[in-house]
Amino acid sequence: MRRRPGIAGLQTAATNRNQFRTLGEDVAKARTESMKEQLSVFRTQLEDFARKHKNDIKKSPAFRAQFHAMCQKIGVDPLASNKGFWAELLGIGDFYYELGVQIVDICLATRSHNGGLIDLEELRALLTKRRRASRERITEDDCSRAISKLKALGGGFEVFTVGNRRLVRSVPTELNRDHNQIIEAAQIQGYVTAEDLVSRFSWQMGRVIDALETLMKEGLVMVDDGHADGKRRYWFPCPFRVLKVGTLFTTELKFGILDLLTSAMDQLSQLSLKEVAQVAQSLAATGT
Amino acid sequence: MDQFKMPYFYNYPPYFTLQPVKDTRDKQVQLWKELILKYCKNYKIFIINLDEEFPLFVNSSIERKLSHEARELFLGALVTEGKAEWLDKGHRKCLILWRTITDWANLILHFVKENGFEDGVMTLDEIRTGDETRGTDIAGIDRTVLIKALRVLEQRGKAAMFKGTSADDEGVKFSA
Repeated sequence: MRRRPGIAGLQTAATNRNQFRTLGEDVAKARTESMKEQLSVFRTQLEDFARKHKNDIKKSPAFRAQFHAMCQKIGVDPLASNKGFWAELLGIGDFYYELGVQIVDICLATRSHNGGLIDLEELRALLTKRRRASRERITEDDCSRAISKLKALGGGFEVFTVGNRRLVRSVPTELNRDHNQIIEAAQIQGYVTAEDLVSRFSWQMGRVIDALETLMKEGLVMVDDGHADGKRRYWFPCPFRVLKVGTLFTTELKFGILDLLTSAMDQLSQLSLKEVAQVAQSLAATGT
Repeated sequence: MDQFKMPYFYNYPPYFTLQPVKDTRDKQVQLWKELILKYCKNYKIFIINLDEEFPLFVNSSIERKLSHEARELFLGALVTEGKAEWLDKGHRKCLILWRTITDWANLILHFVKENGFEDGVMTLDEIRTGDETRGTDIAGIDRTVLIKALRVLEQRGKAAMFKGTSADDEGVKFSA
């Protein structure tokens, strides 16, 4: 670079300095861009990878821990992320996850009253009340969807139809057709008698009593011997409208949520350790 | 007297039948125990006599009432919890302690201090139905409960009970 004397020389020096500064900034920018791009590429690779091995992504707590550590490194929380991909991966979107937790909450809070069986519309109404602040409309379909995710986690969550009502079961009770038919028969008056059932279904009394006793043991039915006609009535508190659900954060509820999360983890499948190592290596390579 | 509102289960027929399934029964007992205490506290009822009709145990609007066995069971559960006492071996009369004896004792002591009755003398009847206690929680207190509470105060050295010439004169000297 030839030195030029005088003002012109100074101006040149200034221009050169500016050019250097701009160049410096450009280099820094380029480096950042490059890193961003690398990170983005890595994210995409991780997503593709996880998508490809989604069905393998089950079991192994060891893998799970590493998987979550990796996610943390790239700043993704699979359970809380809004990203569509993660929703797809786990099958639980942000919205449904939250809904699911609230449904568990309500089912546990009402369980001692209804034995773990609640009307879907009742549940929806209680949910809406609880979510007043968010102003999002919760439909029965939303509830069903959230519950079908919960179903995959075990714990007995299920929506089933009885007559013209849909009920949500939150206990791992094995209800067979007989039970369902009895529940349906009870919808009209809220109770049945054994004689009613015998004549309605043409079952043997023994079969009727068997079914009723199972329902009683499961806490779904209460007996009533007080009617003047002397016939025992079997009442189903389930369709009975629950007037108030306190915000009970009982020990039962805490364990319920813990169980929920634990089973969620259990549903993630296992990458082979080799693949985990490969992914970890590429992570290291990007310098994150 | 507050307008007493019955809880939801009171109008649900099966709750008037002793439930055979243990978990269901446990819940039923718990609900009835709480209701009995609340009801008695609200209406200042101290004794439930199983030989007589007790309005709480009968719900005519749903045409149900508790059997003797059920009543005895629920009251027995209160006794076990220390919230009631049987007054007879036959379990026919039950003293309901919707306020514990200790709490009654403290209440009386507080009343005595507040009103300057230390070193004063009152008959039991005066305490129960006299002018001094009118309007307080102590007014209308059951005699048995009162005596038990005063005995607690005696043990603390805050009172000394004495007998007069007749039952009417039974009284207490306070030394708070």
